[in-house]
Parts: sequence; C-alpha cells; structure tokens
Amino acid sequence: MTFIVVCVITFGLAVFALTRRRLLWGVLGVGAHSLALAGVYLYLAAPDVALTEAAVGFALVTFVYLLALRRTGRLVVAATESPPLLYTENDGIAGLEWELLKRFGRWLHRDVEVLWVPRSEIPRLLLSGEAELAVGGFIPGEEDHRLQFTKPHVPTRMVRLESPGHEGPVLAVRGDRAADHLPRGGHAVDGAEELEDALQAGTAGGAVVDALRLWIWRLRGVGTSMDVHSVEEDLGYCMAVAPENEELYESLEAFLYELAAEGELERLVQRFLG
Amino acid sequence: MRWAAAVAVLAMMGLLVLATVGLFPRGPIPEWEAPTLAYGARNAVAAIVLGSRLWDTLMEVLVYAMAMLGVRMGMRTLPELSSSRPQVAETPLLLKAADILIGVVLVFSLYLAASGHLGPGGGFPAGAILGSGLLLLALAKGADRLAEELYEPTLEGLEYGAVAVLIALGAATLLLGVRGQIPLVAANLFIGLEVAIGAWVVLHRFVSHRGEI
Amino acid sequence: MEGLTAALMAIALAGLGLWTLIRRRNAIWKLLGLNVASGGSILFLVGVAHRPEARPPILGMGPGPAADPLPQALVLTAIVIHFATLALSLVYVIFLTERRHTQDVPRLERPRRRK
Repeated sequence: MTFIVVCVITFGLAVFALTRRRLLWGVLGVGAHSLALAGVYLYLAAPDVALTEAAVGFALVTFVYLLALRRTGRLVVAATESPPLLYTENDGIAGLEWELLKRFGRWLHRDVEVLWVPRSEIPRLLLSGEAELAVGGFIPGEEDHRLQFTKPHVPTRMVRLESPGHEGPVLAVRGDRAADHLPRGGHAVDGAEELEDALQAGTAGGAVVDALRLWIWRLRGVGTSMDVHSVEEDLGYCMAVAPENEELYESLEAFLYELAAEGELERLVQRFLG
Repeated sequence: MRWAAAVAVLAMMGLLVLATVGLFPRGPIPEWEAPTLAYGARNAVAAIVLGSRLWDTLMEVLVYAMAMLGVRMGMRTLPELSSSRPQVAETPLLLKAADILIGVVLVFSLYLAASGHLGPGGGFPAGAILGSGLLLLALAKGADRLAEELYEPTLEGLEYGAVAVLIALGAATLLLGVRGQIPLVAANLFIGLEVAIGAWVVLHRFVSHRGEI
Repeated sequence: MEGLTAALMAIALAGLGLWTLIRRRNAIWKLLGLNVASGGSILFLVGVAHRPEARPPILGMGPGPAADPLPQALVLTAIVIHFATLALSLVYVIFLTERRHTQDVPRLERPRRRK
C-alpha cells in the first residue's frame, strides 16, 4: 500500500516539475523526483541502484543544472530619467528603453542594474568603466565623441522653446546635445526637473529640449504658452557603449537589428509612444 | 502538429504497455548464490558488475573519463570569469557544518566503496557521495580556494592513473582468472576515486566559468 | 504486482519525458525531459527485475526469493554514465548560449541571416 503512495508521489513530482514556467522550479522538481524515485527503488529490492540514484541524480545532476542556469553577471547601465522612455514608477522602472534593456539582459544572461545619474555624468562613467551602457533619452552631443553609439531606435528632433517676452535666460540640460545649441546668454542646468521647475516659476525665458521632453511637458501643461522653434532635425535616441567594449557593442547591435527585423521594435514604439 | 505529437506519444506508450503486460508475472531467477561466492563477493550486483560483466564496467569507466575530458576541453575555449566579482559571503554556519561533515562524508564514502562486495554500495555511489562532499566543501570555502588546494595536475594524474589501474585489474580478472575479495575491493576503490575526481572536475570547470551559486 | 505497477509508471514517465522533449522550446527544458524519460527507462528495468515478495540479491539478507540482480547491475553503470553525458551536453548548451545568445531551439535551428 505504501508502495502505491510512493509511486503516486514520484509521478506527481515529475508532472509538477515539467509543467512549471520557471526553469529553476523545473530543475528543483526533477531533483525531488529523483529522490522519490530512489525511494521507489528501495521498495523494489534494489539498494545499490537506490544509493546510486540518490547520490548522482539528486546531488550532482541538480547542481550541474543550477550551474548551467546561472547568469554570468551584471550589466551596469547609467541612465537619466526621461519619461516615457525610461522612468521610475512606484518601486520599479518602466518605459520603452526599459523594455529594451530587460530583453537585452535576458539575451546576454546578465542581470540589469541601473544607476540613475545626471546627464553630464554619463561620459565620465562610461569612460571610467563604472558603467557599460548608457540610455535614457540619449542623443549624442559634443562631450560624447569618444563613446560608441548604436543606430537610433526612435527618431526625434531638437526644439527651442521661447517665451514671447524673451525674459530670462534660455536653459538646457548640461551635457546634453541641447546644451550645444544654447544661444548667447543661456546656461545649463543639471537636470530636466530643474528645467521644468524654472519654466513653471518663470525664471527661465526658454529651453532647448528634445521632442519627447516637449511632449511630456505639453501633457503636464508646462510651456504651453511658449513659441516652438525647431533647432535640429534628423536626430534619434540611441544607446551609448563604453569605447573599448567591442563585444558588448556588437551584441547590442545584433540584438537591436533582430528586434527591428521581427517588427517587435515597431510594436514597442507603438505601445509606449502611441 | 500538437495533436500529431500527442497521438505519437500515446501510441508509443500503448505499445509499450501491451508488451509489458506479457512480461508479468515473472518467472523464477536462475541460481545466483554459487556464482556470486565464486567471484568472492556476497553482493550479487557487485559480483556481476565486477565479475561476469567486467567489460561493461571497464567501458563505462572509459566513457566517464572521456566525458570529463570533453568537459575540460570544452570549457577551455570559453572565457573565464574575471576575479573582480565579489565572492559569495561565507557564513560561519556553513563553514562549521562543512568542517564537521567532510570527515563523515569521506569515511562514509570509503566505507561504501570498501564494503561494496558485501552489502549495498560499491564504487559508483561512493564516488558520487565523495563528489557531493567536495561540492559541500566548495560551497563553504569558495571554489577558487579549494581548487588551489587540490592541485589540478595531480588530480588529472590520479584520474587517468585510476583508469589505467582498473584496466590492468580487468585484464587480470578476465585473462588470468584472478578471483577473490582483494581485486573486488581494489576495483571498487579505484572506481570511486575516478568518479569523485570526475565530478569535481565538472563542478570546478562550471563554477569557474559561470560563477558561484 | 509491484513490478507491474513500477513498469507501468515507468512507461508513464517515459511518455511524460518524451512529451516535454517535443513540446518545450528551451534547450534545458528538453534536457530535463530527457532526464525524466531516462529515469523512467531505468525504473522499467528495475521493475522487471523485481519478484513477488523479493528481498535484495545479497547473501545473508533474510529468507525468501531474491530480486533479479542482472538488470540492477545493468542500470547501475547507466546512471553514472547518464550524469557524465548530461554534463557534456550542458557544456554544449552553455557554449551555444554564449555564442548565439539564445537557448530557444527553433530559433537556433533557423539558418543564420548574413548581415
């Protein structure tokens, strides 16, 4: 009678193990199933086989699978907050570029770790090797000439907002390509939030930003009364890779190429940018 | 496509069931006690594995060594992990437990190997258990430190030396008709040594490439 | 009748493992299915070796008929060989993961685009 129970347990464990979604549960389930199978062998009067199955199938096989499943490391990404491409939401991160990063991390078998930094820090971090990749509404500017860039995944352009009365300086985010287009008398600020606050408070006479930032501001009702002048066309948001990291650059290019070829990139852009 | 696969699997299972019910009830087994004693053992499985089916065991040992060689060579082409990654923190509980248990595991595996011809056990589970014991030690101390302490060329020499000794013993048993308890115990011990070293090689190569768990 | 139950369960396990081998896309799931199926085949042999009310085939382990030692001896080495071949195939899977960045077998089987 107990034999039937042990048999049912063994078969149930096998079914449980092979119907999981996560591979980790499948491996652990097969390990437990091996142990139960060793018990069945004991009932069938085969102690040698039971010992060998328990020692090999339970300990060694499970460990070898776990080692094969392990991710080999972290991918450190330096990012600037730039909704709707990449932003923090409640406890997590969301956005188009976050989707791309997640998939890329899975592709590389590495965990993605995001460092939130101001835009001006990005070249320094990439060159020093503290980060391997940079994203977040990234348009390459003067400061970034030593880095490697991927082909842009979302096209954009640069615009300049000017309040009709022209009072106050024109601002831009430091380190961004927008800062290269500052007119005389304009200066740079550290982050896009400062820019937004200055515009709302009225201390700034204008701003040079990219098209998506303008769209977000319009949605929030900031800068609606200002004139918009186009400064530069044919730009695109891309990702930056540290200079000596050939391998990562090629992997990233291959990943983006395949994503575009499958039409997945189109779908993601539709989903996030509408 | 899915239904075709399901039908195929069910058909295969049905055929196997049809074949199986014809096998049962099983007839009596032939006389096994006298041949077992003639090989110098009391465990019939050990007498078969190391006696009348010694060819199979020798070839198995050879296949195992070849598979381990394949793992070594295959992992050599892949990049190793840079050592700047932080290691897994060593907890005192694991260190203490490993210190106490490694002795027990070693003695138990030696006991299993040496008494394989008298009771359940034998070289194969003994080697696997010793491999798991080395795995425990690697989890506690860190696989890199353990790999430095277990000098790799010595281990390779031991593994291939064990295979060579086993082939010599096999030749002695098959060609010269050497029987008795001592060849059985020696064969079991060397099989255990070879399986354990092979398991450690796989473990070490995988960890040095993929990182510790 | 324990032998018959074990043999039937072994066939069920083999079918389950084969189904996983066919249906799952990931290479490691396929290996897991193969693992379970081979466990099933080993169980089949051990079940066939069993006799009613049998004891292990070791001298001095009590009265009564003994189980058949021959299939048990056959599967003993098979289990260890299975581990060795599993390690080797996982090396291959790791290799593929590093080079082709995917473990999805249908995608791996597609001919590579020449860029």
